[in-house]
Amino acid sequence: MAERLPTAKNLSVLMRSLSAQPRQTWLWLAPYVAIGVFALAMLVVTGLLQWRELDTAKSALEGDMHWAERTIENRLQAHQDFLGELGRDQEFKQLTYESFQVRAGRYVREAPEIIAIVWVDIDGKVEWVAPNESTVTFVGDQLAGPRLAALQEALRIRRTVVSPDYRDATLGPMHDIIFPVQRGRADIGAFIAIQSLETMLRATLPTAFTARYSLTVVDAQDREVFSNSSVKPTDRQLSGAINLDLPNNRLGLNIVAYRGGGVWLTFLPAALIIILTVIATITLIQLRRHAQHRAETEEKLRAAYAFRQAMSQSMITGLRAIDLEGRITFVNAAFCRMTGFNESELIGIKPPYSYWPPEEFERLQYNIDTALAGKAPAAGFEMRIMRKSGERFDVRLYFSPLIDTNGLQIGWMASMNDITEPKRVRVELERAHERFETVIDGLDSAVHVADVHSGEILFANRAFQNIFGFDSVGRDTALVTAACRPTHGWLHPDPAALTTDELPCELFDGEIQHTLSGHWYHLHERAIRWVDGRTVRVQIAADITDRKHIDEVNLQQQKRLEQTSRLITMGEMASSLAHELNQPLSAIANYCAGCVKRMQAGNYKIDDLLAAMQKASDQAERAGKIIRRMRDMVKKGDPNRQPIALEELVDEARAFADIEAQRTGTQIVVDLPEHLPKIVVDRIMIEQVLLNLIKNGIEAMSDVPFERRQLTVQARRVDDRMLEIAVADLGHGLAEEDMEKIFAPFYTTKAEGMGIGLAICRSIIEFHQGRLWATPRREGGTVFHFTVPLEESTEDSDE
Amino acid sequence: MSETTPIIHVVDDDEAMRDSMTWLLEGEGYKVVCFDSAESFLKARHDQMRGCLVLDVRMPEMSGLELHEKLEFLGSQLPIIFVTGHGDVPMAVSALQRGACDFIEKPFNNEDLLTRIRRALELDAELSARRQRDGAISHRLDQLTQREREVMQLVVAGKLNKQVADELNISMKTVEAHRARVMEKMGVRTLAELVKAVMTVN
Repeated sequence: MAERLPTAKNLSVLMRSLSAQPRQTWLWLAPYVAIGVFALAMLVVTGLLQWRELDTAKSALEGDMHWAERTIENRLQAHQDFLGELGRDQEFKQLTYESFQVRAGRYVREAPEIIAIVWVDIDGKVEWVAPNESTVTFVGDQLAGPRLAALQEALRIRRTVVSPDYRDATLGPMHDIIFPVQRGRADIGAFIAIQSLETMLRATLPTAFTARYSLTVVDAQDREVFSNSSVKPTDRQLSGAINLDLPNNRLGLNIVAYRGGGVWLTFLPAALIIILTVIATITLIQLRRHAQHRAETEEKLRAAYAFRQAMSQSMITGLRAIDLEGRITFVNAAFCRMTGFNESELIGIKPPYSYWPPEEFERLQYNIDTALAGKAPAAGFEMRIMRKSGERFDVRLYFSPLIDTNGLQIGWMASMNDITEPKRVRVELERAHERFETVIDGLDSAVHVADVHSGEILFANRAFQNIFGFDSVGRDTALVTAACRPTHGWLHPDPAALTTDELPCELFDGEIQHTLSGHWYHLHERAIRWVDGRTVRVQIAADITDRKHIDEVNLQQQKRLEQTSRLITMGEMASSLAHELNQPLSAIANYCAGCVKRMQAGNYKIDDLLAAMQKASDQAERAGKIIRRMRDMVKKGDPNRQPIALEELVDEARAFADIEAQRTGTQIVVDLPEHLPKIVVDRIMIEQVLLNLIKNGIEAMSDVPFERRQLTVQARRVDDRMLEIAVADLGHGLAEEDMEKIFAPFYTTKAEGMGIGLAICRSIIEFHQGRLWATPRREGGTVFHFTVPLEESTEDSDE
Repeated sequence: MSETTPIIHVVDDDEAMRDSMTWLLEGEGYKVVCFDSAESFLKARHDQMRGCLVLDVRMPEMSGLELHEKLEFLGSQLPIIFVTGHGDVPMAVSALQRGACDFIEKPFNNEDLLTRIRRALELDAELSARRQRDGAISHRLDQLTQREREVMQLVVAGKLNKQVADELNISMKTVEAHRARVMEKMGVRTLAELVKAVMTVN
C-alpha cells in the first residue's frame, strides 16, 4: 500500500523539536549524569553490603570462637579431672595396674585426642601405660628434655602442668598434661595424659566449624605448631585468636575465616559496575553520535522535503499522485488551484474524478486505463477537464511511475499543465498559418524561398509547385527553376557574398521567359534574412504571359496605328479638318445670323453690329489658319527616304510579327544574301508593307498543318538599281483571277479584312518606284514580290 | 413656388461659339447663360432651373454625353439640344434614344437651331406646369386620412357606396360622409374630376 507522504502537521512537530537546541544539550547530558550517579550509588551500596557482611561474619566468628574456647576448656578440664581421679586413687593406693588399665583405656577410647595415659615415677620413668597397644610410649621409657622439665615442675609445684608442645613423627604435635601425685608429703609420681593437638581440634570442634575457619595452633612462643589448612589466609579481617592458658603452657588458637572465591571477589561488583558504566557511557556516546548523524540526516531530509514541498506548492504545474488503482494520494497546490477543488476533496477519490466533465467521461476513462496499464504516451494526454465551477479547460497530462524507496512501484505521478492559453495561441497560430498559406497559395504568383548557398528550396507556394513540380521543396533551386531563372550575371549583387547588414537586398527585377513552356514571368528576387538567420533568396514570379501578349498586341497595334496613320488617314484628316473648321464657321454663321435678325427687326445699335462683324471676321481668319496648318502637316507627311540596311528593316518587321507567328506556330525563315547594299526607302512605310505581307502569309497558313506553317523572306538583286524582296507562304494559295484583284481597294478574301491593306502597300511601293505583285507557288501557297531602289554608291543619296 | 424665367444654357468649350451663340440668341430675345465646361454647369445647376440646355458634344474632360448621363441621374428634366460636329452622328443618335431632347449638326442653320430651341422651351414649360399641378394634388392627397384614402381608392375604382361600405365593413352613412370630405379636401366637385386628379398623380 502506498506510503503516506508526510503531511504538514507532522512536519511542524519535526521542526519544533529540532529548533530547541539548548534543551537538547541538557537532554544529552542527563544520561551521563544518571549513569554516573547510578554507578556511584551502586558502588556505595556494594561497599555497604560488603561491610555489613564482614560485620556479620565477625560476630559469627566471635561466637564461634567463644564456643570453641569453652568447648576446649571443658575438655581440658575433663582430662584434668580424670587425671585427678586417677591421682587420688593412686594416692590412697586403691588403684591397681589393672583398674588403671581399664579406666584409662576406657577414657582414651572416649576421648580420642588423648593418645595415651601413662604413669611415671618422679624421675620420669614410665611405669604404666594405658592403653596397652599404645605406641607413643612404652613402659620403661625415660622422659627427657622439656617433658622431664615439665614433670619436675609439676612435682615441684604439685599442680597440673602442661608440657611444652612437642612433635611426634607420626602423630604430629602433642603435649603432656601432667598431674603430680603425692602421698603424704612425698611425691610418688605423676599421671600424664598425652594429648594430640590435631585430634583435639578435630574431636572438640565440629566439621562445620573447621570447614569454615582456618585454625592454627600456636605455642607459648607464638610459633605455629599445627594448622588444619595448608592455605594461608591473607585476609586478616576475619580472624581471631583464642588463648587457653594451660598450666605452665599456653595453647593459642588462631582462627581465620575462609573467604568464598577469594579476595578478588570483593571487588567484582565494583569492577562490574565500573565496566558496565563504561560500556553504558560508550554506548551512549555512540548513540549520541548516531542521533546526531540522524539529526543531520533529518535536517537534510527536512530541507529536501521543504524544498520539494515549496517546489510542489509553488510550481504552476499541477501534480497528482495516484496509487495503482487510480486512487488519488497526493495533489499539490497548483492542481487544487487549477481544478478548484481543495485537497481534502481530491485525496482518496477514485476515477471517475470529480473534475471530469460528464461529456468526456469515456475518453478520460480510456486515458486513465491506458496510464494505469503503463502505456501512457511520452507526449502525455491532451484532455479537457472541468473546474469546480463547471468551466472547462484544456490540459496536458504526463504520467510517470511513482517508485518507493524499496524500488517498488506504488502508483503513478501525473503532472498537469494548463494548455488552454498555449492551445488558444497554437490554434490562433495555426489559423494564422492557415490564413498565410491560403493567401500565399491563393496567389497567382509563384513564390519560393531558397538558400543562397546550397540553393535548397525552403518554401514554395502552390503556384510555384504547379509550375515547377510538387516535389520541389528541398531540391536545388538551380535545377528546379533552370528553365526560368535570371542568368547569374543579371543578378545585381552576388547573393552568396551578401553580409547580413546589406539585407534585405534587391537581386533581380525583370521579365523572363520560361524556356520550356514559353510563358513569360515577371521575376522579382530579393535576398532576405530567413527565419533561422541565414540569407535566402525570395523569388516572386508572376505569370505575365497574357499581359505580355496583350501588351505586345497593343504595342504592335499602337505602332501599326501610328505608322499607318500617316498612310491611311487622308479620310480621317478630312474629317478632322471638317471638325476644326466647324467651329469658326458656325461662329461666323451665328454672328451673321444675329446681325441679320437685328437689322431685320430694326432693333440694333451699330456698335454692337460692328463688334459682331469684327468677331465674325476674326473667326474667318481662324478658319484660314486651320487650313494652313493642315497643309503644312500634309507636306511633312511626305515619305522620308533614307538609305537603310534591309536586314535591319526585316528584323524590325519580324519582331512585330513574331508574336503572331508564335501564337500560330508559324516559323519565319529569313534568307537574305550577304553584303547587300542599302536600300533607299521610307523606313516606316516599307516596314509596314513587309509586316502586312508577313501577316497576310501567316493568316493564309492558319488552315494548313503545323509542320507546313513556314514563311520565308528572301531578297534578290534585280539589277544595280533595284532589289526584289519575296515573302512566300505555304498557305491555301490564290485563285488565278484573284492574283490581280487583291490589290484593288476594298477587295478582300479575308472574313474581317478591310480590303485596303494590299492596295495601300501597292501604292507605297509604287511611290518608291517599285512594283508589288503576287505569284502562285509550285508547292502551294503564294509569293508576294516587291522591288525597292538600291542606294547608288556614285550618286548622292539625297535625291 | 417661384416662377423662374426660362434661360437658354449654352455649354461649349469654344469661346467663339459661346459668344456667337449668345449674340444670335439674344438677338431673338432669349436670356442666355454660358458655361465653358460641363463641370461649371453642374456646379451652377439647381432643380428649379427652367429653359433648355444647348450642349456641345465634343469637349475636353467631361463630354456632352457624360453630362447628359449625369443630369439624368440627378433627375433633371431640362430639355437638351446636342450640338455635334462631323462624325458624331451615331453618338448623337444613341443619346437621342436615351431620351435627349434634340440634336443639331454643325455647321447648322440658324432657323433650325431656333426652331429646336422654341420646341425645347415649350416642352420645358409643359413639364414645369405638370410638376406644379402634381405637386398640388399630392399636397391635397397628403391631407386625407387613412380611411378617406381607402374610401377614395374604392370610389375611383368605380365601386358604389354600398359596395364600399361592405368592403370596408362600415355603414353607408359613414361612406357618404367620407366621400364628401374627400371631394372637399381634393377641391373637386364631380367624381370625374376626382378620377382625373388621382390618375394624374399616379
